[in-house]
Amino acid sequence: MSIDARNHDDAETFDGSGDGTGDEENKSRIARWADDWIQNPEKAYAVMLVFLGGVLLTTSLFPLYWLFNVSMAPPGQTDIPLLPTTIDLSVFIQVFQQVPFARFMFNSLFYAFTVTVFVLLVGSLAGYAFGRLEFRGKTPLLFSLLVLSFFPPATLFIPLFRAFNQQVPMLGLFTLPVEIYGTPGAVVTPLSAFTMPLAIFILTTFYGQIPDGLEDAARVEGTTRLGALFRVIMPLSAPGVATAGILTFITVYTEFFFSFLMTGNSAAEWAPVVDGVIAFQTQYTVRYDLQAAASLIAIVPVAILVVVAQDKIISGLTQGALKE
Amino acid sequence: MSGGSDGVLTGLATWTENLSEQAYAYLLLVPAFLVLLLFAFWPLASAIRMSFFADVLTGGQLGEFSGITNYVQLLTNTNALAPAAFVDPSFQTPILEQALFMTILFAVLSVTGETLLGFLYAMLMKAEYKGRRLVRLLIILPWAIPIVIQGMIFFLLFRPGYGLLTEPLQQLGIFSNLPLNTTFDSFVIVTVADIWKTSAFMALLILAGLESVNQDLYEVADVMGASRWQRFRYITFPLVFPVLMVAMLFRTMGALRVYGIIESTTVGCSTVPSMTCLVTQFMFGSATLYGSAAAVSVLIAIVVGLFIMVYLGFIRRSNQSLGLA
Repeated sequence: MSIDARNHDDAETFDGSGDGTGDEENKSRIARWADDWIQNPEKAYAVMLVFLGGVLLTTSLFPLYWLFNVSMAPPGQTDIPLLPTTIDLSVFIQVFQQVPFARFMFNSLFYAFTVTVFVLLVGSLAGYAFGRLEFRGKTPLLFSLLVLSFFPPATLFIPLFRAFNQQVPMLGLFTLPVEIYGTPGAVVTPLSAFTMPLAIFILTTFYGQIPDGLEDAARVEGTTRLGALFRVIMPLSAPGVATAGILTFITVYTEFFFSFLMTGNSAAEWAPVVDGVIAFQTQYTVRYDLQAAASLIAIVPVAILVVVAQDKIISGLTQGALKE
Repeated sequence: MSGGSDGVLTGLATWTENLSEQAYAYLLLVPAFLVLLLFAFWPLASAIRMSFFADVLTGGQLGEFSGITNYVQLLTNTNALAPAAFVDPSFQTPILEQALFMTILFAVLSVTGETLLGFLYAMLMKAEYKGRRLVRLLIILPWAIPIVIQGMIFFLLFRPGYGLLTEPLQQLGIFSNLPLNTTFDSFVIVTVADIWKTSAFMALLILAGLESVNQDLYEVADVMGASRWQRFRYITFPLVFPVLMVAMLFRTMGALRVYGIIESTTVGCSTVPSMTCLVTQFMFGSATLYGSAAAVSVLIAIVVGLFIMVYLGFIRRSNQSLGLA
């Protein structure tokens, strides 16, 4: 947390202290700071920024630190101190031994990955049509996507829950041939539909910004219509595609409603991380230290994604997502 | 077209080449709208239809067509099978009113908190200094944390005899003995948890707004001797305002549908009943009341729709004042 202005700050303080006598220096240190800040508001601003930043980062990170702290506490300990008494990283191994936590993690990542790939592919076709082609009914169709986001997942949940359990026919027309409740399909399909509108909005904006000339050039050189989308438009809109993909991935990975209610609770039944964390509660004991450790492990994949892609997320949102 | 997938693909490609722009556009929209039809539009329509049918207690079926009876019963609190009153032990306040009040209060408080904190985070992410990448990363991180883990964290922070924050808050007389079973305390915990996680998302959107402000304007302001406050008041804020409204709109929609954090902090729907809680209570409670559950979910959509209209009004007015519309 160093601010460029700070070096400058130190240098000036040093220069200043040479002038006066020791007594005067002590008496007026605060006054001199005040003078200095009034003369150089930028410096005061920098100091405020550092202070504010410190407070904000502490607020933001303390809950995560507490998770680590709890994971270090011996099982059954109450009144956990602010600093861990021992550092014993073996809990992170126990997490995988006590429950099939790796499988829970795999399930969640599988959902997030499948939905992201599917939504980007299908959403790109739609985004291309909305962003680059003229056709009747464009505005009503775009508006229908917006209306979808009014409704809470709970609304979609009831009919889908019944259809996936073969209680009612899909679309009122056909009963699903197999019960897909408790299979990956029961999570992947509704979440694809749920994340699709935002992805289409983002992709529409980005695809619409590519100059026609570039696409025309590719077409003249013999690229097919579809080829132009995947070889020219998509690569040129990489930040937008990345933004849509990352937002979708994180939405699905962090999602609670469908992934919790549409699956059973054992890892082999495609239960997500939610159930993995709950699995440390048995009828008689709860291992909070293991739950905390498991939670930390489950954060790792998304943390890596944020580390790798933070620039993409920010630049993608800046360049287009909000212009619609 | 004869033989081999290669031939089929070429044939397909030739076929798409010859389509009119309009037909090609519809073709491209088919996959997306097929998925949406099956897993979004149909369930939506089906839920709205279900809300007009009577509840049947067993067998996961719907009863007779009953018109708006479900809505009337919900609004007048005359549904005998509705879950017992959550918050109000005297059963005086209608269940829907409790849920509605709780949900809207949650949305207003959490979105206000997220906007203020999000703005500060965004300014911190925007300023230029060494280590900014790290700071940005640390600010974004909570947003990427699964809801169940967010719940776990705040459960561990507030569990009596365990959490760090419970005892001081109890000594100050703010929290009761069992904060996770008391409505006021739990409401505070859930709201704080939500603000913690989603300020980061708010900050990302506001940052996008800040970055899109034309930097030349600040140079002009400097030349004219504007103070930092004036720069914020007359350049940053008005230009970021539309983005701020969109960001708040997104978050309000999310907050009005709150459910996951209530379950995952172990607070539970009986302590902090949100509207979505009511849906799950009707569905998975002592009886399976599909008709009433669907009616509640439609009511949520209506509430969300009303909020969206208010925001759109604000956005339009701000665009007019900027001369954009």
